[in-house]
Amino acid sequence: MSNIAGKAYAMNVITPIRWYMVWINRLIFKIALNRPSTLKGLITLSLIHYARWVIIPRNAFPRLDENQPKEDLNYAYMLFFSNFNGSWDQYVDSFTFAIPAGLDLFWKWNVRYPKSVPLTPFHDYIRHNQIDTAHYYNAYPMAASNDVKSAKKVKKALIDFNAVSSDKAPDDFLKDYNKLLNDLQLQLGEMKPTPIVSLSSYEVKKRYEQTQTH
Amino acid sequence: MATKSGNATALTVLSPIKNGTMGETSYADMTRERCLRLPIHEKSPLSKVPNTYLARLFILDDVFYESLPANDAVFNFSDIWSFFSDSARKKSLPRRDHLKSKYLVFSSNFYGDLDDYLTGLWDKWSYTDHDGNQRDIRYIWEHCVAFDRVTDCAGFIQYIKRCQLDASLFFNGSTDDSLQEQLKALYLKQEFTKFAVAHQGKSAIEIQQAFKAFIARVQPDNLSSPSWFPGQSTP
Repeated sequence: MSNIAGKAYAMNVITPIRWYMVWINRLIFKIALNRPSTLKGLITLSLIHYARWVIIPRNAFPRLDENQPKEDLNYAYMLFFSNFNGSWDQYVDSFTFAIPAGLDLFWKWNVRYPKSVPLTPFHDYIRHNQIDTAHYYNAYPMAASNDVKSAKKVKKALIDFNAVSSDKAPDDFLKDYNKLLNDLQLQLGEMKPTPIVSLSSYEVKKRYEQTQTH
Repeated sequence: MATKSGNATALTVLSPIKNGTMGETSYADMTRERCLRLPIHEKSPLSKVPNTYLARLFILDDVFYESLPANDAVFNFSDIWSFFSDSARKKSLPRRDHLKSKYLVFSSNFYGDLDDYLTGLWDKWSYTDHDGNQRDIRYIWEHCVAFDRVTDCAGFIQYIKRCQLDASLFFNGSTDDSLQEQLKALYLKQEFTKFAVAHQGKSAIEIQQAFKAFIARVQPDNLSSPSWFPGQSTP
């Protein structure tokens, strides 16, 4: 089991939703999709790399062969996948504190959803419905989502600065260079394996090494 | 389409695993073990699949019964009936669901188009397992229903599309640049941070000369090299 790959945590949650309420959830997601302002709260949660919600109607689980038994379900199911930085608690709590109303809107029609406030029942609900990941891959284990976003700004600023200022007279160069550093001060920072989840990362590595030898 | 956010794509795949066992081990457990034993970080076979940002594999054994108390409007209302009879009380409880198949779930966030990505998955996925055997993508999907009919890349793409589920909402909190672009930017951020620290307080001429040498070394416009490599876990 490995929910962690470097600085990223993989969350998988599957929750039942009454089949006759699926259309409402789909409508809510569609509105959120077409009106980006509704996702403002999510954007403030800058610890997220990518997240998604998938609704599986109760008769839509993939069936590939006549011999495969047909699912016979009372409920449709909503899958939630997220890739975020930091610990489980930090993530779940930041959702509750930053976008409690949005969270309730997305999960409202799920069976026995306790609402995002207070925290303890919400924690219980997520834990109860969470599935551990067997293999998790992250293309940049040392980078947080904020690093990816800031790196894009650094790259552009460096290329622009090199084109405009690198051949100036030394004093003018230094003036521009200091301005570059000033402009990029929120974007710079050395990336290393994170200390926050290093114990978890260590455990993941240890477990992995065990699977390679047994 | 909700499975796209700019150039970033969300792929969700549920492949049913055959019911049954080989010896004493179920096909689902065999598939799970193969996923668990995959090498991690830069050695993961996914590091070879072009443009994979983040991806995961797990086994969906069953769905959960909602046994926890909650502030659920519909059921709170129906709970009232439990005052009148025990059968009403039982009817007010959530229904019990069980899946008849276990599913291999593959969820990937990647740059570009689905067909190109799945071609990369088929062509590039490879690793050496703990017994020293070379494995391709078929090893993971081997025990899935109808996968024995997949013989080539086109068949694999068709198979995965039959197992694919559309996302209702895909949220991109990162960028939608190609992975090569993202990795180069991260490399530059790392190197320029070190440069800025190393040259604090030096003279204008020294910094200018060093900066020119720095640019010649890091080649900001050259995406392929020097750069971070996919899955790189140490500086």
